[in-house]
Amino acid sequence: MTAPVLTVEKLVKRFPAGRSGLFVNAVNSVDLSIAPGETLGMVGESGSGKSTIGRAILRLTEPTEGKITFDGRDITRIPDREIRPLRRDMQMVFQDPWSALNPRMRIGDLIAETMKLHLDLSKTERENRTVRLAERVHLRPEYLRRYSSDLSGGQLQRVCIARAIATNPKLIVLDEPTSSLDLSVRAEILDLLAEIREQSRAAMLFISHDLGTVRLISDRIVVLYLGAVVETAPGEALFADPAHPYSQSLLSAHLPADPEAKLSRHLLVGEIPSPINLPSGCTFHTRCPVAIGACRNEVPGAERIGDAEHYANCLRIAEGGNRIKPTEAA
Amino acid sequence: MSLLEVENLRTHFISRDIDNQIRVAEALNDVSFTLEAGKVLGFVGETGAGKSLTAQSICGLLRPPAKVICGRVTFDGHDLTAMPADDLNALRGAEIAMVVQNPRTSLDPLTRIVDQLVRIHQAHAGGPLAASRTRAMEMMEAVGIPDPKNRANAWPHELSGGMAQRVLIAMALMNNPKLLIADEPTTGLDVTVQAQILDLLKHLTERFGMAMIIITHDLGIVAHYSDEIAVMFAGTIVEAGPVSEVFEAPGHPYTRSLIAATPERLKVGGGAKLGGQPPDLYNLPSGCALRTRCVFASDVCATPPPRTRVGPDHDVNCHFAGDLPS
Amino acid sequence: MAETVGDEFKRDRAAARPFSLKNRFIGIARVSPTLASGVIIILAFGFMAVFAHWLMPHDPVSAYPERVLKPPSAEHWFGTDGNGMDVFSRVIYGAKFGFGIAIPAVILAVAIGVPVGLVAGYRGGLLDEVLMRFFDGLRVFPSIILALAVVAATGQSLLNVVLVLGFLDSPVFARVVRSEVLSLRSSVFVESAKAAGNPTWRILFIHLLPNAIQGATAQAAVRAAWAVRISATLAFLGVGIQAPTPEWGAMIRQGAEFMVTGQWWVGIFPGIALIFLVFGLNLFGDGLQDLMDPRRRAVN
Repeated sequence: MTAPVLTVEKLVKRFPAGRSGLFVNAVNSVDLSIAPGETLGMVGESGSGKSTIGRAILRLTEPTEGKITFDGRDITRIPDREIRPLRRDMQMVFQDPWSALNPRMRIGDLIAETMKLHLDLSKTERENRTVRLAERVHLRPEYLRRYSSDLSGGQLQRVCIARAIATNPKLIVLDEPTSSLDLSVRAEILDLLAEIREQSRAAMLFISHDLGTVRLISDRIVVLYLGAVVETAPGEALFADPAHPYSQSLLSAHLPADPEAKLSRHLLVGEIPSPINLPSGCTFHTRCPVAIGACRNEVPGAERIGDAEHYANCLRIAEGGNRIKPTEAA
Repeated sequence: MSLLEVENLRTHFISRDIDNQIRVAEALNDVSFTLEAGKVLGFVGETGAGKSLTAQSICGLLRPPAKVICGRVTFDGHDLTAMPADDLNALRGAEIAMVVQNPRTSLDPLTRIVDQLVRIHQAHAGGPLAASRTRAMEMMEAVGIPDPKNRANAWPHELSGGMAQRVLIAMALMNNPKLLIADEPTTGLDVTVQAQILDLLKHLTERFGMAMIIITHDLGIVAHYSDEIAVMFAGTIVEAGPVSEVFEAPGHPYTRSLIAATPERLKVGGGAKLGGQPPDLYNLPSGCALRTRCVFASDVCATPPPRTRVGPDHDVNCHFAGDLPS
Repeated sequence: MAETVGDEFKRDRAAARPFSLKNRFIGIARVSPTLASGVIIILAFGFMAVFAHWLMPHDPVSAYPERVLKPPSAEHWFGTDGNGMDVFSRVIYGAKFGFGIAIPAVILAVAIGVPVGLVAGYRGGLLDEVLMRFFDGLRVFPSIILALAVVAATGQSLLNVVLVLGFLDSPVFARVVRSEVLSLRSSVFVESAKAAGNPTWRILFIHLLPNAIQGATAQAAVRAAWAVRISATLAFLGVGIQAPTPEWGAMIRQGAEFMVTGQWWVGIFPGIALIFLVFGLNLFGDGLQDLMDPRRRAVN
């Protein structure tokens, strides 16, 4: 097996909560790794720390503790000026394409920017490559001379993707790249991402709150709750057999676009607790339908399930008590 | 008589650009539908399709440059388009209530939630303050706000997104409306919370006998929470009918492409996608607005598509309705 | 696949039409009469300043000793002043000073204020505190007193007036740009620029500056009005430009003496010119934001 392009060990990120002297525990000891060419899906609701992890990996926010190894190099603490050349190999695509592009720059200049910063190319060569990139993301070349306000959301997201792949990076972090797009546009962008993954073999970290979307594009999926990994599994295994009670309820909350589909709802009680005062033990115990006394005190480790690379962090897996009883809803 | 009848509603944005040229965005074009008392109608469509604008046009909430050009809106026997502004005001928040996206920005940040509930009751029903307070407590209980006695005195900023949405729903219910319009009521909320809010809305319509319009871009919500569906594209209802009918046998190419693009049906890298750009409302193609992107389009599509009945209460606006290969 | 139907059916209402200055002006005037009036006033004064030599019936600084303090007449439309100079010609020539001081002063203020605001807003922290407190210090003094003191100390030349006004006014631009940058620096496109590997200077000047400058352009007109007013005030107080230079402030100072004795035309006409230019610049600055308001574009 080849060395992973990215490993994250015991990543912790705390933000000061205003001036209260308290801290928001955004990310709590997360371990991850992504192999070259692999697409890792990262799913969680708001407050799960998924975007913070994505940004910490790219050093867009400073990790509080832990270790991030990119391409064999520990980048956790290296200074900004050493990070900048590395950005050629790690790029990012953001959620909202309307605000992710400088409104005062032409589309062509935006696409060419990463090449200008990292590659030593003549102006003509750069322009040629920009046109080729536009073709790769299926953007008509006449748009290169326009500004972002002239383009639709789907076109803008294509521009963002072209920017990200221009330097042939080894890792692309995609933070909810399709969440703000309309359904049919989302489908086209997912097609494009799949196409790019085939061509470039870049590793991708695909962050989303929507399990359905993540499943379409990921090799493996990580489920996050309150800044910690609760389950890691190959996409199909997770959908077929979600082991962690949180994954089960997340899956069951999804509404398929089929009125005949039976919903087996595992509705959670209440809402996600404050990340300032994390619950003790398993942080999910406050909302978990199958929690037992031990869940209050003991932090569960990763339990392996079946033969596949399927792990879940739940104390009740050993005794088989992790399944929420299905209750049929309307 | 239906509770709400909308006939040939047209809303345009008419403005003058910086070169003194008049520009018209044809945002709503001949929107017609009816809603029976107690039923739930789901409006789906993509950004700019005119879902929210339909609701705003019905309630008289348009702001310039948006303007209703023609059409009739009959609610409970009253013609809303001909109604004086004061009467319409009295109706809104009482007979017709609205729940919007971004619940937190819809609450007055400087007023305790119970006072906001009381205020809307006083504005319409009047009566003794104590009665309004009692009603506020009842409604907070009804929308599942835990410990309403204590929460009543909370400030909006102390509420989570889900809780704020419950407060907004309680506000909408204060005056026992006949129609509740929920405009993207769960967009921005987590899926686990979304399920709670939608279950609540469904339960409340049954309990109070309200009709509801749910506006959403999420087909899953419509599939499970409404009785009827209206699919909008470029300011027109292109397909309408009972939910089970429409999902079972979608008759309009646009509806088909929407259903095919849902995560359960989507095949990444395969299958025909709609393609093309969202319609430019300033420059709509003549006839069917979808024809420049539609694989089935032919010359006849340059003329306005007829409304064709393809099943019980199931209408499709397409020249080829019923004749498309499935 | 979407090209099955030719675009020949398309109603092409958005066909490119040739740019027409007249339509553009009428368009602006309908959206914002304020802005349009500002533009007319500024253009009128600009025309006066540029073509002063063709417009002036007399030399603005040649004295006619035999025609001292003559009231307005066919020969001297605005009368003559205490030196027997033609007030009409002097008012026209004065526009040169109005713009000649205001434009370089504002350019200087922008050149100092904008980079400071940019860096302070982006970096934040101690640097921001120090720069902003220093600029606040500049602003707490009534600007006219400070300008008076500095011009009096450095010598009464046109250049000094420009330098002092430009320097004193730079905090305004620093503030405007800083507050823009504060809201922009956490925006996604700045993070995206950082993620792409942009060095700080590129983030500041390529990404932030063009987006942060909009507020400053509206300010520029308003501050030009301020510069016109303050430079006239300095001259009126006898600091800065001195009579018989045909500068409005200096002319008003001279005219004030004659007001009590009934020769109103010496001070009134340059005063009116000053009011109009200041007014026009302010209208322009205020009207710019009307263009952003879609409700002003509605047609009924």
